[in-house]
Amino acid sequence: MHTKANALAQGFIRCHDCGCLVKTVDHPSACPRCDSQLHPRRPHSLQRTTAFLFSSFFLYIPANIFPIMTVNQFGAGDPHTIAGGIIELIDSGMIPIGLLVLVASILVPSSKLIGITLLLLCAHFRWQINARRWTVMYRVIAFVGRWSMLDIFMISILVDLVNSGSVQIIAGPAATAFAAVVILTMFAAENFDPRLLWDNQQNL
Amino acid sequence: MNSTNYDSCPECDLLLRSAHPKIGEKAHCPRCGFLLSRPRKQSVERTFALSIAGFILFFPANLLPMVGITILGNANTGILMSGVIALFNEGMVAVAIVVFLASILFPLVHISLSLLISGHLYFNRPNRYLVGWMRWMHHLDEWVMLEVYMLGIIVACVKLMAIAPLKFGWGLYAFIALIIITTMLTSGLDTELFWQRIEQLGKENNLAH
Ligand SMILES: [Zn+2]
Ligand SMILES: [Zn+2]
Repeated sequence: MHTKANALAQGFIRCHDCGCLVKTVDHPSACPRCDSQLHPRRPHSLQRTTAFLFSSFFLYIPANIFPIMTVNQFGAGDPHTIAGGIIELIDSGMIPIGLLVLVASILVPSSKLIGITLLLLCAHFRWQINARRWTVMYRVIAFVGRWSMLDIFMISILVDLVNSGSVQIIAGPAATAFAAVVILTMFAAENFDPRLLWDNQQNL
Repeated sequence: MNSTNYDSCPECDLLLRSAHPKIGEKAHCPRCGFLLSRPRKQSVERTFALSIAGFILFFPANLLPMVGITILGNANTGILMSGVIALFNEGMVAVAIVVFLASILFPLVHISLSLLISGHLYFNRPNRYLVGWMRWMHHLDEWVMLEVYMLGIIVACVKLMAIAPLKFGWGLYAFIALIIITTMLTSGLDTELFWQRIEQLGKENNLAH
């Protein structure tokens, strides 16, 4: 199952924390350099990634249908969803900022969910793929995830600053769901082990 | 086979001969393209200096007013913590905690750890907690979100400029300087070198006793 060029096939385990290479013949349980637990691959990688992925799919629905914030002006409330906030930015001529929020709050989370699903399917069904290309996809997913927190930080600033008697901004239930989606997909990406993609390739 | 002469790629597990690129050069995995190592000039000294600067800047960035706004005669100024408190008061406890961790606590812990580690290495002082600090710093890396927060400030300001005039305070400038320093810090930190120095310090310490 393991290709010959892989370190594991030749009797080495790489420490997750410090990157130290340890021989498996001695059956070590902890890394000699940093004392963290040694695992040939991330433990329960596919199960954990699946669990985090399913929870984020589930929370992605309330994150998009409930209002993420409400603008209260002279007693009248004006709720905004994530998409509504972007449309408003673009309508009022702030196109670059509108596109930035579109990328950070809609394109990144949704392509992350799809990307991690594909990676899981690929590792589970041992698809024969261009492993290099898929590893790059994993790398991009792991890198961009945190940028989706942009919307949450923006809301914390708006809620704080727009708080006079007559005009008020209040965070909505979608904010909690959206923050959870971002964090859960970050956990999902962190638990996925891209080396599983390479382990399954027969023609390397 | 001596394991110290070998290395493996963390993303595709290809077994490699340890690459020792020169300073300023990069070593990539030939199979998947992962950036294996990029040694930096005087990484310990640089990290130590930047950590001190970052640690000092953390306080004005958190305590001085960042953005001020006047809506219909009501003046309001915001700092990092006041956003957390405003969310908390509205009952958005979970979101308030996330914002607090990603923009205040984790950056502070991260910079303190890097100050402690690089300080011990700079003065060649062994400490049995060095290994633990190093592991903590490694796990925190991804959860320090100052640059993302900066983007949040920009979007919020663009939205607010449409309703009322804004005033930028010293806190914002200190925050921008802090982001520049933490970015230089993380890109200049040579993890492999730090681990080797810690291992070496531990061995010397054991021999001395
Ligand atoms: Zn280790
Ligand atoms: Zn590789």
